[in-house]
Amino acid sequence: MRLRRLQAIAVKEVLQIWRDPISLMIALLMPFMQMILLGYGVSLDVKHLPVCVFDREASQNSQALLKRFQASEYFSIVAGFDNYRDVGRALDRGLCRLAVVVPTDFSERLSDTGTSAVQALVDATDDNTANIAIGYAQAVVTGFSSTVLIEASALAGSTVAALQPIAAQSRVWFNEDLESRNFIIPGVVALVMALVGAQLTSLTISREWERGTMELLVSTPVTPMELMLGKLLPYFAIGLLDAVFCLAFAVFWFDVPFRGTLATLFFTTSLFLIVVLGIGYLISTAIRRQVGAAQIGLLVTLLPTTLLSGFAFPIDQMPPAVQAVTFVVFARYYVTILKAVFLKGSGILDLTAPILAMIVYAGVVAFLAARAFRKRLD
Amino acid sequence: MFERILQMLIKEFLELKRDKWARFRLIAPPLIQMLVFGYAATFEVYHVPTVVLDRDHTLESRELISRFAFSDRFRIVRVAATDAEVENAIDRSDAALAIVVHAGFAQLLRKGQSAPLQVIVDGTNSNTALIALGYLNEVVAQYSQDYTFDLIRRGIGGAGGKMVQVTLEPRPWYNPDLNGRWFFVPGVVGSLTLVVVVSLTASAIVREREIGTLEQIMVTPIRPVEYILGKTAPFFLIGLAQVALVALFGTLWFQIPFVGNPLILLLGTCLFLLSTLGLGLLISTLAKTEQQAFAASFFVLNPAFILSGFSFPIASMPQAMQWLTYLDPLRYYLVVIRATFLKGVGLDALWPDLLGMAVLGVVLLAISVLRFRKSLD
Amino acid sequence: MTGTIETPVVAERLVKRFGSFAAVDDVSFRIARGEIVGFLGPNGAGKSTIIRMLCGLLRPSEGRARVAGFDVALEPERVRENIGYMSQKFSLYTDLTVAENLRFFGGIYRVPRAVLPERIGFAVAMAGLTQRENMLVSTLAGGWKQRLALGCAILHRPPILFLDEPTSGVDPESRRRFWDLIHDLSADGVTVLVSTHYMDEAEYCNRVALIDRGRLIEMASPGALKRHTLGGDLLAVECEGMGAAMAALHEAPGVQDVAAFGNSIHILVESAGAALAALPDYLAGRGVAVTRIEQIKPTIEDIFVQMIGAEARAEGPQP
Repeated sequence: MRLRRLQAIAVKEVLQIWRDPISLMIALLMPFMQMILLGYGVSLDVKHLPVCVFDREASQNSQALLKRFQASEYFSIVAGFDNYRDVGRALDRGLCRLAVVVPTDFSERLSDTGTSAVQALVDATDDNTANIAIGYAQAVVTGFSSTVLIEASALAGSTVAALQPIAAQSRVWFNEDLESRNFIIPGVVALVMALVGAQLTSLTISREWERGTMELLVSTPVTPMELMLGKLLPYFAIGLLDAVFCLAFAVFWFDVPFRGTLATLFFTTSLFLIVVLGIGYLISTAIRRQVGAAQIGLLVTLLPTTLLSGFAFPIDQMPPAVQAVTFVVFARYYVTILKAVFLKGSGILDLTAPILAMIVYAGVVAFLAARAFRKRLD
Repeated sequence: MFERILQMLIKEFLELKRDKWARFRLIAPPLIQMLVFGYAATFEVYHVPTVVLDRDHTLESRELISRFAFSDRFRIVRVAATDAEVENAIDRSDAALAIVVHAGFAQLLRKGQSAPLQVIVDGTNSNTALIALGYLNEVVAQYSQDYTFDLIRRGIGGAGGKMVQVTLEPRPWYNPDLNGRWFFVPGVVGSLTLVVVVSLTASAIVREREIGTLEQIMVTPIRPVEYILGKTAPFFLIGLAQVALVALFGTLWFQIPFVGNPLILLLGTCLFLLSTLGLGLLISTLAKTEQQAFAASFFVLNPAFILSGFSFPIASMPQAMQWLTYLDPLRYYLVVIRATFLKGVGLDALWPDLLGMAVLGVVLLAISVLRFRKSLD
Repeated sequence: MTGTIETPVVAERLVKRFGSFAAVDDVSFRIARGEIVGFLGPNGAGKSTIIRMLCGLLRPSEGRARVAGFDVALEPERVRENIGYMSQKFSLYTDLTVAENLRFFGGIYRVPRAVLPERIGFAVAMAGLTQRENMLVSTLAGGWKQRLALGCAILHRPPILFLDEPTSGVDPESRRRFWDLIHDLSADGVTVLVSTHYMDEAEYCNRVALIDRGRLIEMASPGALKRHTLGGDLLAVECEGMGAAMAALHEAPGVQDVAAFGNSIHILVESAGAALAALPDYLAGRGVAVTRIEQIKPTIEDIFVQMIGAEARAEGPQP
């Protein structure tokens, strides 16, 4: 390993990056765009869900119930119908996602048998939103039910005063507002890092082969290790720069709480970058045609990172077979670390497991990447 | 004119046939993505790891806790003895939920008073936290109600009053089991096709320009429009094939129902492909090298993917972003696809989305053809 | 050190197969220090393959080669330290400037920093690029690029140079300049192996190796080659309707061989005098109007064509 040769390669790479506006744009603009898009676009919070109502009884009772729906910030009543067909059509067209139907004998049944049911027709195409909506609707109805119960009991002379015997006092840790953004944005940083790294480095080797400069380079005494380190160092620097940018953006623009230490963040991000860059480099050496390399690079990093890293879809909810697969997804560890560092304020000692995993990963990738490059044409 | 287009088509398919790598790229990624999304992408919540601490040790407290134990939404991973243990469990992410019953719980209940229940939830994943809380409240509410009825039935606190309750009967439409896959897999059809068609179209033309064969072709009597049609026709067919492949796979493997009209899906797909081809073409007029084409494709595809409502609902986005989604052909196509798979609605409901794609397609194609003509002069 | 090896390039029965196709078939030669050896042959003859094997870029299927005293298959890295290489396709960095390219290769070859500026200055002057060091290479014309590539290859004063078709696609003036540079280097003791498909460049070499279809047909000095008797006299014929003329000439008496050379036809005859007397009428009788017919001295190309033809005939009919 000769420092001089490494330096020559690194300097050349920097000059080429500098003179290639596309690479620069990817490196600088993409993180920015990603943060904006994902930060704002990604939200699983359900608010102001369009609701339509079909009040078949139209009594004081039913009106009281429907008022509660209106009052809830989760729902927004957009239409009232007087027949099933219109309700169905509204759901079909997506005009509303939930339809509350009060039966004609709502109050009657209540005084007769003591039980009355209200129907909630839910557009379950998006099952997640449907689930959440049903939960909220349930809460509204339960609240109403309790009031009715209390009133009826009071009328009968009962002193059961408790609105609900058991009052669950929930405290949310780490993400007090239950803002989905707070848990998604740390993952966004991971996503951005993976994408930038993959895009840039997966092209670097194949580009030289295609242009013919690699043939000349290979005829010189430069070693595969020098070539790899020299080429990746500039991208490492760019990656760190992007990480700083994303972090600042997350904290100052999106107000995501940051409770960890910068040292932990720096250390873990560097580790992650080594893995990502190494993988991009591996791909680049394996596939000599540029576009193929880039596409594979994207496939290998983007897909697993979005789906299997725990960035948006919780890993512990996946079937065991898929969970096993996620151990191979390097982004998974970084996402766990980032969320913990941001929201829980975890330090390096709390995160020994994922950090160790990343170290192993980085080692394997580096080893493979250095060996994969062959200084031969055949 | 058709003769020339046919010639181009044949040439494209021959090239494709020889490029084994390209064939692999067209088939493998869709299937892999299907499988992964189908199995990994889920917002459902089951077996939430829970830690419980019972300081009351009464019939009531045990009854309440057992309700959680028997629910498949929760999985009791630890029975703690101290507060510190509980906090530890949450901190170390051994549990996402903690339920603490304090001493005196049953006493309060028997007196007909409100008894507090302490709950701690790890909000790191707010989505699951929210849903988990929802289920927790359900269990608690159910227990509360049962307990209250019991009280009333036994005439405690007054003359035997009647039980009164209002319940909610949720009726999920289109997706009765609230199966997450039914939501995602149809969406995968659209997003995959978008990625494949756009990037293929963009790079194909740019590659010819880079190699120089473009000039060669332009010297022949072929007209720009014919060239474009001939060049994009294979991708159109490939797009259709992909949609068919993924749709078939979805219905057969994941058993997603298809209750709509296949012709409407076909119409929607054609319009969607029109706009994706337009997009790819536009990129090809802007990029000079294949590498640039790829980078540009990515720049366009990523936002298109995120803004489409594929996994994150558009309604949850800020207003400005929601307007932006109208520029995204995938947004309309997802509506059409999900509607034809799960809802079975007809043209009367879907015409706005079909129109949206048509307009986008025409505009994009028009701009691209104009630019293409200019670039040749 | 390595510079004092008397035969810095030795090839012994080199073979390179790609699948079942033998691109290089049993080639052996020795090159002396300071020699300029030209590898001549048509495209696809195997010249580049041989050079790439000598650089360690391809592994020989059979046979061995030693460059600068090191075996190319066993110690390719030691070989690379002692050679300079110009590949067939232009392979400098077009998005870097002249100076940046030179500095890059200076670093790669670890030219001592104290000496590098002077070496770079030398290379720049040699290429004729003074005052243009900060131009992007993509803006340079063909001839400049070639000379710059040569400059990058010699920064570290390698004792051996492998140049693979360095003058392809370059104007004749630049080609001459380039060969002047090669001669200067050879005068300094550098061993140069150049491949080319320009037959006239053979004159510039100390020795010429004729390569055709993977085989080394003949290796000798240009003079010796030219003294090679063709076994007859050579005439050049120019006329209208070359096709008809060639057909007629094949059957003409006293004509041993006919080959097209650009605008004219070269024919090998037993006796120039007899042919010059008889052929014009013979051709006129066949309806071919001859504009020029005279005896010429054979060039390397003529000899090559005949040698290849002889080799082919010796092999017998091909499948």
